[in-house]
Amino acid sequence: MQLKAEKLLEQLKILIIVGILILIGQRIGYGISIIEAIPGIILVIAVAMFSLIIKELTPNLKFPAFAWASLTALVLSMPFMPTADWFLGYTNNVNFLGTTTPILAFAGISVGNRIEQFKKLSWKVLIVAVMVFIGTFFGSAIIAQIILKLQGII
Amino acid sequence: MNNRFIKLNLTVLVIVALCEMIGTKSFSVGIGTIVLLPMLFAVVIGILITPDVLGKKLSALKKVISREEVEMAGPFVMLALLPLGVKYGTLVGPDIVKVIQAGPAFLLQELGNLGTILIALPIALLLGMKREAIGATVSICREPTLGVIGERYGIASPEGTGILGTYLVGTIFGTIFYGLLGSLSISTGLHPYALAMACGMGSGSMMTAASTSLAVAAPPEMKDTVLAYAATSNMLTGVTGLYSVVLFGLPLVNFFYKKLEPILGKRGNKDAA
Repeated sequence: MQLKAEKLLEQLKILIIVGILILIGQRIGYGISIIEAIPGIILVIAVAMFSLIIKELTPNLKFPAFAWASLTALVLSMPFMPTADWFLGYTNNVNFLGTTTPILAFAGISVGNRIEQFKKLSWKVLIVAVMVFIGTFFGSAIIAQIILKLQGII
Repeated sequence: MNNRFIKLNLTVLVIVALCEMIGTKSFSVGIGTIVLLPMLFAVVIGILITPDVLGKKLSALKKVISREEVEMAGPFVMLALLPLGVKYGTLVGPDIVKVIQAGPAFLLQELGNLGTILIALPIALLLGMKREAIGATVSICREPTLGVIGERYGIASPEGTGILGTYLVGTIFGTIFYGLLGSLSISTGLHPYALAMACGMGSGSMMTAASTSLAVAAPPEMKDTVLAYAATSNMLTGVTGLYSVVLFGLPLVNFFYKKLEPILGKRGNKDAA
């Protein structure tokens, strides 16, 4: 258990840094005041920590922390929940697009150790992979289109 | 806090600041509109500054971002995704009734992930791939599928080589590809809500790239629902994805392989000869 607490503390440290990156990024990109967004980002980090703890406690479910975070925020912001107003009110100051930029900056750097492996792949793999990307996207989109039409939603 | 930690985070801070200054750029090309979001610039800059790309030529850059910082960045991605996960939750929550109403579409479109087999398998065979094609086309090949194939065939098998190929291409180019496809896909005439559901593929960063560029290109009144649908679909894939590969994907890809390989495989070989 000792070790787990240390791991969570380390994760909290990184989340706080990510929070700071978001605050600075959205100040530049969307003109959102850093001071006004602090309560929102603290709430966001709290939910993120909660999802990490839940994930640790339920190793057999194999439900990713990202999905736990969405699910927790979803429940807190449902219309008939007493938490909805204040939770949405505060997190509204955390810009959606603003949270995406740090992720992709880290992601870009993290693939750096795959570049050499990648260069060894043949061009055929690249073509097949692109077909896979197109296949899954439009496969889902076409089925969704048909069912949503049948349901009269679109 | 050690040196690497500080170097990595300061570098990301510079990238974020730079990309937010550039902002969102959208322009129309012949077939539709391309939306370039700050995150797309961020992933490209991130890849470019790694030791095997620009670091190879600029030794000063290699001192800031060395292999050690690259190694460290991996776990940061998972954690940096969490605030976004929270934001997605706040998009779905208020619309929960609308999302539940679309339940049947959400569930059935999960099967659309098998579209990888129908489209990519024949092409892989035509290109002369053998059992590699099984791994490469069974699904979009994110981590859960990697685990399944690794267990069933071994990661050093031809099937394992195949899945690693698609996995690698996805890891490096997935967000860039879907970031472009997301906005362009509107010109197919498919409804933005249907396209939104398609964005949830079981990868947080690919879903984000696809759905945000789709949301920016879609009519403004649809924006929130597009993001809510995409996030819900992605959550659902997190639950169903693995079972879909084991129960449907693998049997189907093996079935089509047996049927198609004798026809398409030979032609592929002849072309190669």
